[in-house]
Amino acid sequence: MNLNIDAIKTITYDAIVVGSGVSGGYAAKELTEKGMRTLVLDRGKQMEHITGYEPSYKDPWDFKYNGLLTQEQKASHPKLSRDYPYNEMTEKYWMNDSDSLYKEEKRFDWYRPNIVGGKSIMWGRQTYRLSDIDFEANVKEGIAVDWPIRYNEISPWYSYVEKHVGISGEALGLAQLPDSEFLKPMDMYCVEKEVRKRIEKNFPGRIMTIGRVANLSEAKQAQLGVGRSACQYRNKCRLGCPYGAYFSSQSCTLPPAAKTGLLTLRPDSLVSEIIYDATKQRAKGVRVIDTVTHEVKEYYAKVIFVCGSTVSTTALLLNSKSNRFQNGFGNDSGELGHNLMDHHFKIGATGTWEGDEDKYYIGRRPNGIYIPRYRNIGNDKRDYVRGFGYQGSGSRSGWNRGIGDLNFGADYKESLTHPGPWGMSLGGFGETLPYHENKMYLDPMTKDKWGMPVVVFDAEFKENERKMRKDIMNDAGEMLEAAGLKNVKAFDNGSYPGMAIHEMGTARMGRDPKTSVLNGNNQVHACKNVFVTDGACMTSTSCVNPSLTYMALTARAADFAVKEMKKKHL
Amino acid sequence: MTINRREAVQRVAALMGGMISAPAMAGIMGQKTNNGTFVSFTADQTTLIASIADVIIPTTKTPGAKAAGAEKFIINVVQDCYTKAEQETFYAGLTKLDADCKTKTGKGFVEANEIQKKEVLTACMLEGDAARKAKKGTAPFFFMIKELATTGYFTSKIGATEALEYLPIPGKFDGCMPLGPNQKTWTL
Repeated sequence: MNLNIDAIKTITYDAIVVGSGVSGGYAAKELTEKGMRTLVLDRGKQMEHITGYEPSYKDPWDFKYNGLLTQEQKASHPKLSRDYPYNEMTEKYWMNDSDSLYKEEKRFDWYRPNIVGGKSIMWGRQTYRLSDIDFEANVKEGIAVDWPIRYNEISPWYSYVEKHVGISGEALGLAQLPDSEFLKPMDMYCVEKEVRKRIEKNFPGRIMTIGRVANLSEAKQAQLGVGRSACQYRNKCRLGCPYGAYFSSQSCTLPPAAKTGLLTLRPDSLVSEIIYDATKQRAKGVRVIDTVTHEVKEYYAKVIFVCGSTVSTTALLLNSKSNRFQNGFGNDSGELGHNLMDHHFKIGATGTWEGDEDKYYIGRRPNGIYIPRYRNIGNDKRDYVRGFGYQGSGSRSGWNRGIGDLNFGADYKESLTHPGPWGMSLGGFGETLPYHENKMYLDPMTKDKWGMPVVVFDAEFKENERKMRKDIMNDAGEMLEAAGLKNVKAFDNGSYPGMAIHEMGTARMGRDPKTSVLNGNNQVHACKNVFVTDGACMTSTSCVNPSLTYMALTARAADFAVKEMKKKHL
Repeated sequence: MTINRREAVQRVAALMGGMISAPAMAGIMGQKTNNGTFVSFTADQTTLIASIADVIIPTTKTPGAKAAGAEKFIINVVQDCYTKAEQETFYAGLTKLDADCKTKTGKGFVEANEIQKKEVLTACMLEGDAARKAKKGTAPFFFMIKELATTGYFTSKIGATEALEYLPIPGKFDGCMPLGPNQKTWTL
């Protein structure tokens, strides 16, 4: 028995995947199913499917503060507590601010999960395809660089992942929002059904549909086969779903990967560096810091998929310096860390709905409505480029509606036990352009507790986004008014990059190695056995939620990688 | 959820005419607030808080705030989630309410009869409304305790399951169905 060979075998794999979120989980599934011995490294703590979702089993009275943060939590999480995703219920899912140091030349809200599965547990689950209007926009408008792919190249991969994931929605046949492989659409509230009709009547070309969402409105064999079941309409998705009724790595991609017997998943594993072999001109593996013991280890593989989420992936590449890559791994173009984008949002309108007092609903729909992009399409031309879509929802107000009223006592209490008026809200999500000067970089002088240089953000929304926001707010108000809502109030709560948690673009795909980091197969131009398939790869943002595109690109890149390995090209 | 929490809050606030107390808004919206320490509530103060909450949400066909133990939630939030300034407003308001009751009736709030309690709390509410319109400092005490009592009650086991209808696992969604004659507001 040769112990040395055994020791090397346990640290050598066919493939290493950095991160286990939407992209990393998908890479793990595809690579293992294609016969690759795969090591998945995640810096987060283990999060077991079903048993790990402790907050999701709680009733309202089990929470001490009904979701509010304490002063102590606010003091220890000065950045994370600036917005809603971090609260009493999700406390354990996110990294502490003290562990997640970063600097802001300009405000950037960086949400870093602290669990295996990453943000696939807490994500909003809205799933939309990009279209050729998106893929062609940069080159047509002379902005940034051209996407190296077109819709027809990714379309089969959208279908491939959608059949496994399960996307609920309504087919519309729109050029700007291609249909997915749909499970049955979820129902609309009465108010939404009526508002839909009135918007479509008053504004030809604008359509309101039910949200396309990675929740199982019905479970088919593809989902039942991995132990998932249909949505129970609890709307506790963000706490983890014991029914496996929405897409997460735990419910959807890690179980089939594990079933192959080829998956090794290592939590608490912060990847600090990609190791470059100058002789072979390829990456030979990764250096890992155990987040608990701080022990440093190395693992080796033929291919490496970097799927750590946009900012962490980019930080890892920037930190992986060698004689060959003195400015960061694969950074011959100088674009690594640049073109940082996020959707801008938190803007729209609300109104109240008179009528339907005799109508109610049952179940808590984990989804809303969607108004696909209609600006700068066809003959519509605005004083800005690109566009936006709206997410929104009808609602019927409940027991918390009377808090500000001048009353108390028996009548007050009894009135709240009956449902209040209906309302409707629309909130826009707008495309952000790729600006070279919007960037993240590392500060080598400031290290976190694992000795990693901290990330500095320097990104902002600019004129194009500001002009678009005027339309988003005005259009939302106009549509609600035309639809018959009362007390319509437009709002702009202000949006900072990072808040939409759709960060993208810092290792973009492109045709030319001089101006992009990745090629059309998500390969690092300058080091072909390293792939980046998370949001960092995005050449533009579109205005739709991006996760579905990461899944499709990941599956496509994994297929390409394995074919290349079999041809001995990698 | 497609509507994030901030938008949901805005919507609720809009429906309520824009009124939601500053601390709850700060908490829900994740604004940074100043940390501070505050003396814990005495047994008498706890009884007083429970007594006020029970006037805001009394026992009717269903048990009220006191029976539901809503004062525990109120105290948890005031002690742990409120800023120092908010805690001071709450504490001063609580003390003043009890003192006003003694001046007016000769008895502390807890000992006063139901009519007296309502009168004293109504005066407190109108004071709070005037202060709210003047928009100075934190939300007035009345709206703090009204909000906390309401939330504490309707998220308690009694409030959530008896005064409202609680379906932990609905199992289906129908967005547009007739409202049944005995249908109560959903807890969630």
